[in-house]
Amino acid sequence: MRVRRYGILLAVLLVSLLLLTVQTRGGGTGRASELVTVAVTPVQGLLVRIHRSALDFWANYVEWKSVRRENTVLREENEHLRVQALQAGETREENVRLRRLLVLRDRLPLATVSGEVIGREAGGWVRSLTVNRGRGDGIAQQTPVIVPDGLVGRVVQVHRAAAVVQLLNDPASTVGAVVQRTRTAGLVEGDAGGTVRFKFMARDGASVTLGDLVVTSGLGTTFPKGLPVGRVVKVEDKGSALFHFAVLAPAVDFSRVEEVLLVTGQTTQDVAALFPPEG
Amino acid sequence: MGRLLLLLVIVGGGVLQSTVVAVAGVGGVTPDVPLILTVLIALRHGPESGCLAGFVAGLLQDASGGGLLGVQALTKGLAGFGMGLLVGRFWVSNPLVQVPGLVLLSIAEGLARFLLLQMFHYPATLGELMLHVILPQALYNGLIGTLCILAEATIELVRRRAWR
Repeated sequence: MRVRRYGILLAVLLVSLLLLTVQTRGGGTGRASELVTVAVTPVQGLLVRIHRSALDFWANYVEWKSVRRENTVLREENEHLRVQALQAGETREENVRLRRLLVLRDRLPLATVSGEVIGREAGGWVRSLTVNRGRGDGIAQQTPVIVPDGLVGRVVQVHRAAAVVQLLNDPASTVGAVVQRTRTAGLVEGDAGGTVRFKFMARDGASVTLGDLVVTSGLGTTFPKGLPVGRVVKVEDKGSALFHFAVLAPAVDFSRVEEVLLVTGQTTQDVAALFPPEG
Repeated sequence: MGRLLLLLVIVGGGVLQSTVVAVAGVGGVTPDVPLILTVLIALRHGPESGCLAGFVAGLLQDASGGGLLGVQALTKGLAGFGMGLLVGRFWVSNPLVQVPGLVLLSIAEGLARFLLLQMFHYPATLGELMLHVILPQALYNGLIGTLCILAEATIELVRRRAWR
């Protein structure tokens, strides 16, 4: 009994450490991770659909109740219209979101793939989204993910039919960026508190002010130039330090992202002007 | 509870964590449902089941969250084992012990995760994590754990009355 108990503990320790070792030595846990995701992704998709059809369920419930109360026709009509208004509102909002996404997709000089969010990880250690597009749709690691408001993050794990997107406010996220007005360069990093900071700005001649828009620099090959990242809400000036940093309000409300565009193509053109001024 | 049912509970908890729970956060804090389930399973089925349940739950979270595969599998496995060992030594059948135990274990699991991630150059500091993630999540876990324990006690009471 005792041997079995500690045997299980030892096995769990060994398997976990083996997985960690394989990953850090540059090997792949792709297959193991893939198997887990293949099992979980369809259920995640199903749950999201259940979540979204909650309003429809409520509408059906109200209708069923109304049939039983034929003598209160006016109340029934009133409730029915209320639910219809709710449904219409939801559909209208979805319509607006999809329309904006479509407009952006048509404007951008880039190949993109649209995707739907099917899972979220927002605990603080890791901030990520899971989307229903994967290797089968031509998605690769480091693929930038955007919405009409701006940059959401980048793909860090790709499975057959799903991909994990690291959000900008993930503690491990780093993106090269510039202040649009002054072209001051720096790095945008997330932190454990969920804020996004624009770091390593040269003090000399930076003159960054509140409300300035920060966009991707386009240096490197990951992100196209000019994707909106956020606006400066606070500038931290540490006196004599060589660099100072700014706190940003992200251009995207990550908790409300439902549909995204995954940028599969590349361009050297500055795309900032193609995004709507206020999202 | 059969092993298959235990597995379903753990997988269901993992899926719930990345869908419904992820959008039901309060002030950016979400409860760790798989950890709560691991603790409840360990309390009722001992260290072996607790350890395996924690391992599977953690592995699912690692895979769906995009982190390093094995970190949460290890810490949750240890948490399940540790909680299971307490059965029979302390008065863990009492909810007044279970809930603070869950809160303390959540903090311990967070610290273990931080220490493990230090080996992989995790960028956040312990102070930041403690303030924004570990402590709020531990309290949220305690709240959800209380509701689970109350629900379980109510079901047990109804069942006993039905037998009379």
